[in-house]
Amino acid sequence: MKRLGAEVLKCVSAVVLVCVSAAVAQGQPAPDLRAHRLLLDGGVVWSGSYAIGDSTAQLRGNAAGPSPPPFTLFSSSSEVGSVTSVVARVGFTLTPRLVLEGGAAFGTPRVPVAMSRDPEASPQQLAGEQLKQYLFDAAVVWHLPMRWGVRVRPFVIGGVGYLRQLHEERTLAETGQVYYGGLGVRHWRRGGSGVARAFGLRGDVRANVRLGGIDFDDKNRVFPTLSVHLFVSL
Amino acid sequence: MRQVIGRFVAILLVAGASSSVDAYLKLGTPVDGRVVDVTWRAPVRYFVSDADAGSASANDLLGAVSRASATWQAVPSATVRFEFQGITASVPGMVDGRTTLGFQDRPELDRVLGATSFLIDTTDGAIVEADVFFNSRFAWSVSAAGTPGRVDLESVALHELGHLLGLSHSALGETELTGTGGRRVIASGSVMFPIAMAAGTIADRVLQTDDIAGISDLYPAADQLTTTGGIAGRVTKNGQGLLGAHVVAFNPETGAVVANFALNANGEFAIARLEPGPYILRAEPLDDAEVDSFFSSAIDVDFRVAYASRMVVAPRGGASAPIEIKVIAK
Repeated sequence: MKRLGAEVLKCVSAVVLVCVSAAVAQGQPAPDLRAHRLLLDGGVVWSGSYAIGDSTAQLRGNAAGPSPPPFTLFSSSSEVGSVTSVVARVGFTLTPRLVLEGGAAFGTPRVPVAMSRDPEASPQQLAGEQLKQYLFDAAVVWHLPMRWGVRVRPFVIGGVGYLRQLHEERTLAETGQVYYGGLGVRHWRRGGSGVARAFGLRGDVRANVRLGGIDFDDKNRVFPTLSVHLFVSL
Repeated sequence: MRQVIGRFVAILLVAGASSSVDAYLKLGTPVDGRVVDVTWRAPVRYFVSDADAGSASANDLLGAVSRASATWQAVPSATVRFEFQGITASVPGMVDGRTTLGFQDRPELDRVLGATSFLIDTTDGAIVEADVFFNSRFAWSVSAAGTPGRVDLESVALHELGHLLGLSHSALGETELTGTGGRRVIASGSVMFPIAMAAGTIADRVLQTDDIAGISDLYPAADQLTTTGGIAGRVTKNGQGLLGAHVVAFNPETGAVVANFALNANGEFAIARLEPGPYILRAEPLDDAEVDSFFSSAIDVDFRVAYASRMVVAPRGGASAPIEIKVIAK
């Protein structure tokens, strides 16, 4: 959790930086999307690492009784490493402030494994396999009734996704769900006041809860993401 | 069809003696230039000898063997069937076409609890007859909770019936040398480990994952070929294959531990009948027992324990792409 907290802090810091730099923009009319328009997004998303479980290989101990204490052969501790994925999204502006959107992201995180408690080997870190990871999600984006400069408007986002993680040999897929919530900013480079063909940059930071997927303890996992996109309003 | 019959060397379960280990190895015999599994092609029809031991009767043995055979039969992923034929005056070790289990006084085998011997059809690997003796000179226990200082008869029967079905010894275990030159078991991951647990223990009445994988490989239930997976690869040292390296596969999700050896000069190994999923692979030298208990030729045990660089997936209904585990000299 300590490590996760540090990563979240980094992400928040990055977004605040985006906000601050946007806030020094010029003082013109408040930026807005135009209702009933399509929004296309594309960019990258960085996902923080998260643990996927500890496990111990045990042998049956040689002691009296039906359940003798086990002998530890070795222990393993695995995680899904941090990864930068490519992402594409399409949205629809229900109102100038409310957008429904869906997207897909693809990345190849590593799954390093730390080995320990082996009486015959020193602790070591295995490079691990490289997953192919897909996330298909749907989200609601609400732009806050406030402005940071003329070209920047903050928003909050919440959504749910279908996660598919394919092991390196592509013979086993693990699936799960991701629920997330976060905040971000949209920075218009062109348009910004209800103009039809606007475009700009968008960034957000999210806290994600993952259910299912590759996990050796079958636990829910929390991890941060930080994304930066280009967007075009058609 | 011409039936060629040969006799296997008996496989021994020892009590604290110097012996060797390997994973769920299967017994095999060469047929037409390839090694085939040695298996029963019909239910195992067996007799129990009427000889008593000092510490247990023939009926005690019958009870222990019945419970042990029921344990093997209860493995859902395998199709094993035993049929008790009756009490007999015959003794184990006679070539009489009968599979006989019984007590025998074998004072010359002062560390051998029991042993299984076979008669097989060498044209196809079918077992024709198999006999098991339990050494009368040991103090046996048939108590449900075990008896301190006595060897649990059901545990040994379960082990010997594993041989009788065609399984060899398993190397999944840890031992330490004793002051008398023998080995004491610290832990084992298989009922088929060649050295028995300490007298008084009854834990080996329960099959372990390695045993179940082995018997399921020999006698697979109908769905086994499509519902389980396998892992293949090779162990190398300085780029050369390493015969005899012991490879342990560990599923971090289920905790299952199954193993096998690299069984040829290329260092190739295969572990079958695994629950589909990712596995951590660990290669280790055969250093918990005498090498010649398992290999007729010399093997290299001068290397350090090493892990495969990544987890390997045993895919449902298939086998993994070969993975190489590189080891280095000690």
